[in-house]
This record gives sequence, C-alpha cells and structure tokens, in this order.
Amino acid sequence: MTQTPSGEVVVRLQGVGRRFGATPALAGVDLTIRQGERVAVLGPSGAGKSTLLALLNGSLEPSEGSLEILGSAPAGLSTRERRALQRRVGTISQGLDLVEQVRVLHNVNAGRLAEWGTPRALASLAWPRPDRRALDALTAVGLEWAVHERTERLSGGERQRVAIARLLIQRPELVLADEPVASLDPTRASEVLALLGQAVRRGTGLDADPDAGPVARPDGALVVTLHQPLLARQHCTRAIGLREGRLIFDAVVDDLPPAALDDLYARA
Amino acid sequence: MLLRRVAGALIILLPILWALRRALPGDSDVVNAGGVPLIGDLLAKALSPRLDGEFLRVVLEATGTTLAFAALGTAGALVIGLLGGLVLSDVAWSRRPPLPVRLVRGLLRGVLVAIRSVHELVWALLLVSVLGLDPLVAVIAIALPFGAQTAQVFGDTFDALPTRALRSLRDAGAPAVPAVVFALLPPAGPLMLSYSFYRFECAVRSTVLLGAVGVGGLGQELVVSLSSRNWDEVWTLIAAVIVLSALVDAWSGRLRTDMAVASCAEWSAGGTTSVPRRSHSRWARWSAVAVVPGLVVAWIASGVSLSGLTSERTRMLTVGLLEDLVPPALPSAGWQVVTGGVLDTLAMAVLAMSIAVLITVVVSPWAVAARRSGGPPAPLGARAVRWVVWAIARVVLLVLRSVPPTVWAVIALLALFPGVLPGALALGIYTGGVLGRLVAESWESVSPAPRDALVRTGVPGALATVAAVVPASAQQLVTYTLYRFEICVRETAVVGIVGAAGLGRLLADNLNFFRFPVVTTLLLASFAVSVAVELISRRLRHAIRA
Repeated sequence: MTQTPSGEVVVRLQGVGRRFGATPALAGVDLTIRQGERVAVLGPSGAGKSTLLALLNGSLEPSEGSLEILGSAPAGLSTRERRALQRRVGTISQGLDLVEQVRVLHNVNAGRLAEWGTPRALASLAWPRPDRRALDALTAVGLEWAVHERTERLSGGERQRVAIARLLIQRPELVLADEPVASLDPTRASEVLALLGQAVRRGTGLDADPDAGPVARPDGALVVTLHQPLLARQHCTRAIGLREGRLIFDAVVDDLPPAALDDLYARA
Repeated sequence: MLLRRVAGALIILLPILWALRRALPGDSDVVNAGGVPLIGDLLAKALSPRLDGEFLRVVLEATGTTLAFAALGTAGALVIGLLGGLVLSDVAWSRRPPLPVRLVRGLLRGVLVAIRSVHELVWALLLVSVLGLDPLVAVIAIALPFGAQTAQVFGDTFDALPTRALRSLRDAGAPAVPAVVFALLPPAGPLMLSYSFYRFECAVRSTVLLGAVGVGGLGQELVVSLSSRNWDEVWTLIAAVIVLSALVDAWSGRLRTDMAVASCAEWSAGGTTSVPRRSHSRWARWSAVAVVPGLVVAWIASGVSLSGLTSERTRMLTVGLLEDLVPPALPSAGWQVVTGGVLDTLAMAVLAMSIAVLITVVVSPWAVAARRSGGPPAPLGARAVRWVVWAIARVVLLVLRSVPPTVWAVIALLALFPGVLPGALALGIYTGGVLGRLVAESWESVSPAPRDALVRTGVPGALATVAAVVPASAQQLVTYTLYRFEICVRETAVVGIVGAAGLGRLLADNLNFFRFPVVTTLLLASFAVSVAVELISRRLRHAIRA
C-alpha cells in the first residue's frame, strides 16, 4: 500500500524556523511535498500549524532555513514575482474571508483577480457575467442555483462551499486549508475535504478548460490542518504531526501508529 | 469634588464674561438707533412677500442653480474623499507602506487639515480673485473643504472594516486596485452613501452661503435683495431657502435611515458605530438611478465648464496670486490688528455658542419625538398637543438653521453697529438651529427605561425625568457643543465677510484692497486658531468621556 510519491516537488523546507520576537513558532522543520500528495497537518492548538501555512503561501518569510515553493524561494522575490507565485497557491481559512455584501458570483470571481489583471477585474465588478468556468466551479460545489444570491443570505455551510468554489476557479497548484472543517458536523466535514481533494486533482472534468486545449496537467498538492485523525485517514495520503513548533512525525496515513497521536496530543 | 465643580464652572463662565466684555465695549454705542426702523420695515413685509410670476421665475431658477452647484460640489468632494480616504487608510496598504508613501501620506494629512480649516466662503473669495465670477468657483469652493473632510471620514470608515477578506485576496496574488474594490467598497458602501447624502445636505446650505461672494443661486439673490432693501423679495427668498432645505433634509434623512442606521448627529460628530442595514428600499434605488442623470443635468444647466481652469488668463492670475501671497506681511497698523482679529473671532465664537446652547436648552426638549413609555397611553388630546408642540419646535429649528448666517448677520447689522455682537448674534441663531437638531436627535436615543422605572416606584414624572434623563442628555449636549464650537470658530469667517468682525472681516477687507501678503498672514492666523481650538476641544471631549 505504501507508495513513494513520484511527482515533482511542490514545496521543500530545510531546517526552516520562524520566530515572532523571541518566541519560536516553528523550528528545524524539514519537509518535502510532491505533486499528488494530500497532507494532513495534525497537532494541538499553538503547535505552529498556522505559521506553517503562512510560510507555505508566501505571506510570511522564514527566520532561518531554506524554503522553496513551486520552484522558487519567496525570500528573494520582488513584489510582482511574489504575487505571481501566490496566484498559484490557493488558501482557504476557517473564517472564509468572503465579502458578505456582494453576490456569490463576485466572491467566486475573486479567485481570478490575479489572472485577470486590473481592467478586466473592475469591468467584471461593474458588469458581472457568469461564464462557463464560474458556473462549473459553483456546480462542483452544488451551488449553481446561488450565482446571483447575496453571499450573506447563505447558510454557514453554503458559504464554506462558496469559498471552495473561489479556490477551484483559481486553479491553484498548491492548496492550503487552515482548519476548514473545525466548525462542521462529520458529514459536512467529509464533503468539504472531498471537495478540497478534488480541487487539486486534474482532469476530473471539473478542470476541463475549453481554452486550454487537451493539455494534461499534473495533480497539485493539498496541505490541510485538521484536528480529527480519522478524517485525515479518509481524505489524505500523508500526515505530519507538529508539536511546539517541531515536526514529530511524518508518515503515510495508513501507517500512522495510534501511539504517535497519543503522544501528539498528550499534555506536556 | 467641590473644587472640581467650581473649576468647571469657571472654565465655562470666564470665557463668556470675557467675550461679553469684548462684545460690549463701554465707550461706544452698540445699537444703531437709525437702523431700528428698518427692522420694523422688514418685519412688516413678512405678510406680503413678493409673489408675482416674474419674481417667482427668478426664485425658481436660483433654486435650480443652488441645487446644481451643491450636487456638483458634493460629487467633487466625494471623488477627493474616496481617493484621499484610500491613501489615508491603513487597510488599503496591505503591508507597512514604503517610506516615500508614508511621507506622502503624512504630507497629505497636513494638507487636508489645512484645506478644511479654511471655510468654503473664504475659498470662494480666493477663487473669485483667480477665476472671476465663474460658476466653477462655487463648485470648487464646496468640493475642496468638503472633500478634505470626507477623505478623513472615509479613511476612518475603511480602517474600521474587517481586513481579512482583503488580505486573503492579496495573498492569492490579486493586484491592489481590484482587491481593494472587491473587498473594501461593498462593505463600506452603505456607510459611504449615507455620509454622501449628509454631505449633500450640508452642501445645499453652504451653496446658499456662497451667494455672498456673488456666484449665483438663492444666496446671491438674497444678498442682492437685502442690500437693496427689497424686503418683500427677501421674505420670498427666505421661504424658498427654507423649503429647499427642508425637502433636501427629508429626502436625505429618509435615504440615510433606509441604508444605514446613522443619524445626522452621528455623522456630524465624525463617525458612526452603526451597522449598515442591507435592505435597499425603493427610495434608495430610485435615488441611485437619479444620481448620474441628475449630475449631468446639473453640469449642463449650471454652465460649469472646466475650461476656466486651463485658460491662459487663469494660469497667469494664479501665478500672480501665489506670487502676491508670499511672503506674508503684517497689516500696516501692526500685529495688534491680527491679535485683535483673533480675539474678536474667539469672542464671537464663545458668545455665539452661548446663544446656541440657550436656544437648544429652550427648544430641543420639545423637538424630541414623543416615545411610548411604560405607562398607560396618554389621552388623545394630550398626544395631539404634544405633537403640535413637537412640530413647532422642529420648524423653529429648521428655520433657524436654514436661513444662512450671512442673512442673519445682515439683518443684525441693520440695528447694531459692526462688531462682535451682531456677528455673535447671527452665528448663534444659526448654530442654535443646527445644535438644537443634533441634540434633539441624539436625545431620542437616550433610554427611557430608567425614567419609567422611577415612575413605577411612585416618583412624579417631571422629577423622574430630571433624575434619570437629564444626566445622560447633558453629556450629549456638552459633547456636541464642543464639537460645534470648533466649527463655529471656522464659521466666524462667514459673518465677518458680511461685515461683523474678527479675522473674516479683516480677510474680506484686505482682499478687497488686494493686500495679498496680509491675506496670507490672516489665513495662517485662522489656520492656527482653528487647529488650536480643535486640539483643546478634543482634549476636553476626552476628559469628559473619561
């Protein structure tokens, strides 16, 4: 069952640490994630999970060690290059960060702002037109009926799916999800994780882009922070454990020994 | 405790006593006995205003001009406010902005404070000397100080928004402009619209004021009729101003309550904590639809053209004016003239504010909309009387604040010799109307629950009101009084320009004689006074809240 991932490297961390003032949030992390991997990050609150995700989307820089995202080191990038890199990384957080006062379509299209550039983005805000890709993204999350709904009128679960549609339309090569299911019931949680898995899988019809032609694109990678090892086992291929800023295990989910989890959540 | 009370009372009383002494110098006459009959004439004509078709057409046209100038000025202010607000707000810059940006921002903040410390009427005076009597003068004179104020308010509005949506867009690589438009404007929209309509209300009043420098509209007709002593025309025009003002107030008030629960009182005190309401009423929709065509019509009808800005003549006159303005110089009579002007300005503001507070205390309690209290409903007759009293009080306040202070000043100057007193009287009456309305609106939000609780325990109604409602109301009165005082200091320029006293009068006189270096000195003095008063008042407001 154990198979070594063979895709290209998506992120590589070598001896990465990050401190805020004198407090280390993350220390000595070595981690390589390849295409096609779905990685669950487990660990108690304050273990450094959010810091790790912020490093991976380039909004935070490491205090030490070397970090490489999609083939480039964010530290040496100009603002423009950094934006270009961030465009290939999709982030979804627990707070969803949707603009509540606009139509669902706008929030979905927000995932394409970087691709569109300024003039087209402004035009789309003034004259919103649901095109094929936006409708596909909403259909994938089961919200095709809500294109013109006001976002704030939707339920919590529906808003979560709008945020995922925004992610889908961005077509990221790396998806980072910060506790996406923390406030959901088990059935919903499973649905959301399945959708996130779909977001990084290519050629499932979802990504069939009439403009792109028959170019086979490789799968992306998913990194998701979770509190439920069971969900990790169902939806991920690999699990890593963080505790007090250190990587304490890194294993294929099926090989995850229960003892490792006990150790992870044990009180210091 | 007692010592604090005494100190507090002295802080209020001493300035008033000092201002009274300054307003009523013992050695010279105050009342112009020759002018008193004129007031009689004016009053006598109140019952027979001029209503023939020819004059009504003039009035109608002037009303249209006033509305057009106000609309265009507000539009200009909003453009300045939106751009300035984005630059000033911290939110719009995702990270700490680079050093040059921070320097520009600091500079911009200073420039905006300077721009709004100069009253729109003074702006109009300066612009007239460059552009002549161009309609553009009215538009720019409104747009500049209003825009500076709006930038401040919009900046604060943006900074009070949650930043996460914007940050997440930026983290996904979105360029700055669309990210800001997507993530900031929708949540800020209702509050910004509400503020825009409040600004439009103010702009209508200011445009009437600007008539004093001759740029057209109701204000100019008023000044012409007043100075040629056609009292019957004056009454017609005053009625037109009041009706216009009431209609705009009602329209904009309706829209503001529809869109966001922000009262006029909140906006004028510099911000709101209200949560926007998201129901777009038919009123709001139709108004939004009407805005753009309305602006186009205003642009065409008022004959505003930007060509005046780029013409060779304007360029030469501007360069000439700027060269004339520097270096600043003292008036030939020495610096005592300037300090005298400053002291007159302050005395006028203090007295005007005292009059305004007096009016507020007398009228506002009746202008508070009656609310159902816990007890049994009052008999129908009593409620009807209460309603009539309320309506009268509201109309009185509306009249006081709708008639521009310049008109009050011209009337006061009929019976009083130029000086601090007529200016203070005119400004006080006008400010009384504004303050009275603000305070009445804010009193409506004072909770009646404590009073009702007292009444239920058997305390007589009046006593319960004194014990439970007055303390909360007094604090609001003090807060708004201090706030209005800052504005009052700036507005002394208005009554000064029509001949009362203070820095405004000196400014107008020196502009008339093209003594531009002195004008610069006076502008700097006004700026210093207005900033100093603002700082002191802010300290006091904090001290009271603490």
